[in-house]
Amino acid sequence: MSSMPLIEARGLTKKFRQAVKEPGLVGSLKHFFTRQYRDKMAVDHIDLSVEAGESVAYLGPNGAGKSTTIKMLTGILVPTEGSLIVDGLVPYEKRQQNARNIGVVFGQRTTLWWDIPVIESFNLARDMYEIPVKRYKQNLAEFTELLGLAEFMNVPAGKVSLGQRMRADLCMALLHDPKMLYLDEPTIGLDIAVKDSIRKFIRRLVDERGTTVMLTTHDLGDIEDICNRIVIIDSGRIIHDGDLGALKDNYARDRVIHFQLARPPESMAAICAGLPACETTSDDGLRLSVRFDRFQYAAGEIAAAVMPHVEVIDFHIDEPEVEDLIRKVYLGQLSLTAPESTAEATESAVATGA
Amino acid sequence: MRGFNKYFAMAKASLEVIFVYRAGFTVNLIGSVFYVVAMFYLWQTIFLGKPGALGVFTWPEMKAYLIVAFILNSTMTWFDEWQMGADIREGRVATDLARPIDFQLKRFAEASGPIPFELASALAIGAVVAFVFGGIALPADPAHLALFIVSAALATLLKFSIIYCVSMTAFWTTGMEGVSNARMAVQNIFSGALIPLVFFPDWLRGLASVLPFQGMISTPALTYLGAMDGPTTAFMIGTQAVWALGLFLFGRLLWRSAVKAVTINGG
Ligand SMILES: Nc1ncnc2c1ncn2[C@@H]1O[C@H](COP(=O)(O)OP(=O)(O)O)[C@@H](O)[C@H]1O
Ligand SMILES: [Mg+2]
Repeated sequence: MSSMPLIEARGLTKKFRQAVKEPGLVGSLKHFFTRQYRDKMAVDHIDLSVEAGESVAYLGPNGAGKSTTIKMLTGILVPTEGSLIVDGLVPYEKRQQNARNIGVVFGQRTTLWWDIPVIESFNLARDMYEIPVKRYKQNLAEFTELLGLAEFMNVPAGKVSLGQRMRADLCMALLHDPKMLYLDEPTIGLDIAVKDSIRKFIRRLVDERGTTVMLTTHDLGDIEDICNRIVIIDSGRIIHDGDLGALKDNYARDRVIHFQLARPPESMAAICAGLPACETTSDDGLRLSVRFDRFQYAAGEIAAAVMPHVEVIDFHIDEPEVEDLIRKVYLGQLSLTAPESTAEATESAVATGA
Repeated sequence: MRGFNKYFAMAKASLEVIFVYRAGFTVNLIGSVFYVVAMFYLWQTIFLGKPGALGVFTWPEMKAYLIVAFILNSTMTWFDEWQMGADIREGRVATDLARPIDFQLKRFAEASGPIPFELASALAIGAVVAFVFGGIALPADPAHLALFIVSAALATLLKFSIIYCVSMTAFWTTGMEGVSNARMAVQNIFSGALIPLVFFPDWLRGLASVLPFQGMISTPALTYLGAMDGPTTAFMIGTQAVWALGLFLFGRLLWRSAVKAVTINGG
């Protein structure tokens, strides 16, 4: 068992039958007689395996199929096609058994009892999951502390703020020590401070308890803080699967190194000549920026090439922003299936002087 | 019964919700008091017009029938098609599907939780009303009372099963209020809640006898009164049990196939 991934999906597919209906009463009436449906491929033959201890960000634009995937993994939805095993079980066949191994948080919907104090929802979780009393108390104390739940523990879930509700929902999902935690848009609608505390909490869960986390989000900030692997889905298909470093390596090859100079350089041309295939710019004469392909040059080589020509006071290197990367992927500016070739990059690179 | 702890806990939680909504509960209760008092005056007028007995009932027996009907109607008042339908339509049931619980047993626990409180209030009100109207017939034999308690418990299970089955229409229709009202209308007639079934014309009584609703009021009330002979009582309570359990299981089947259809095809 231990050699098997925690989640193993092969060709996992979900096709929804959607009613073809024109708006209004006439449309409803027409549909009643014609009964027209169209198939919607929400998840289209995805392969995914997740090892225990991984933290996976599952990203994609609205309607990409993220929630549908999560619902299949949790056993709520039955796949149309493909095979799926989570911790040795087929989730939709062994729904209740699978439910004991997992925690689920839906950002858009609470799992707390609306009308009774939050603490009583937790007590219900203790009974539902048959958590040993001692373990329950330990977990409750720890989560109360880490998530700051004490101040609204006795308030009904219907009367707490969204941020408080989310924190309580997280606790609710974790009291039974699930191996696997699914989070569907856990930070949606929250302010920065709450987002931040939730991210820290989840990161800690991964590091200290070894909980496997799969998280869908729109919020790119969630990713860098929590996840070591990024899976991107678009129109039901996985278009990228790899660790954060790989994403940066593959799709953010360019680095920019900025030099602060004591005096304006005597000859830009000389510097540029020493750095073919780089884009060298100097805006006000005292700053010099070199954009380079980091597979072609090491930062040290750039520095070595620049130093003989100028007197450098200070320098720093820009790291690529993950947000930029993923935004580019969504916008279709970057094709993840076919990264730009080195040859092409070299060809298009130009050296310019100021 | 360790596995049932969780359902007991959920029942307790739903009892607590009654106290959260005590204003609504009180309004319902006051409404039902007006209703039972109106029924008393109505039937008093009918009985006074025909001194002695009307058909099979004496006036004290009729009063007992009305009180029993009132008490049976007072349970599971918070469980209806509307709430279940909303949970189904708005996808809240997904939360329950991701938990190690049986959906139907959870619903049953939640519907049953408030019963102790509902029953206590109804018994208190029933006692006052009975006193004001000069007392009611008591069971002639302790055995009638014991059988009545069995029959009343089955009536409650039957009520749950019927509402649960009817709620499943939420998978196909959005008009749960209409569905709920229709069920209530049919139930009020054929359970004997408005008029004891003995006063029905033959054809209508025949129809009532093949429907499950008589088990909700008529059977327990007649058992209380000892109005049926031994074999008939056994047969009627047996019929009640078959309906209650049969529909309970049918509800499970409906839920299972409906959930499958929805989770396989999408809503
Ligand atoms: N129950 C359903 N019935 C029909 N279509 C659905 C259903 N649920 C989702 N879809 C469709 O499947 C696609 C993927 O939805 P979803 O998984 O919710 O996307 P995401 O979570 O990535 O925003 C969407 O086009 C959506 O309209
Ligand atoms: Mg979604």
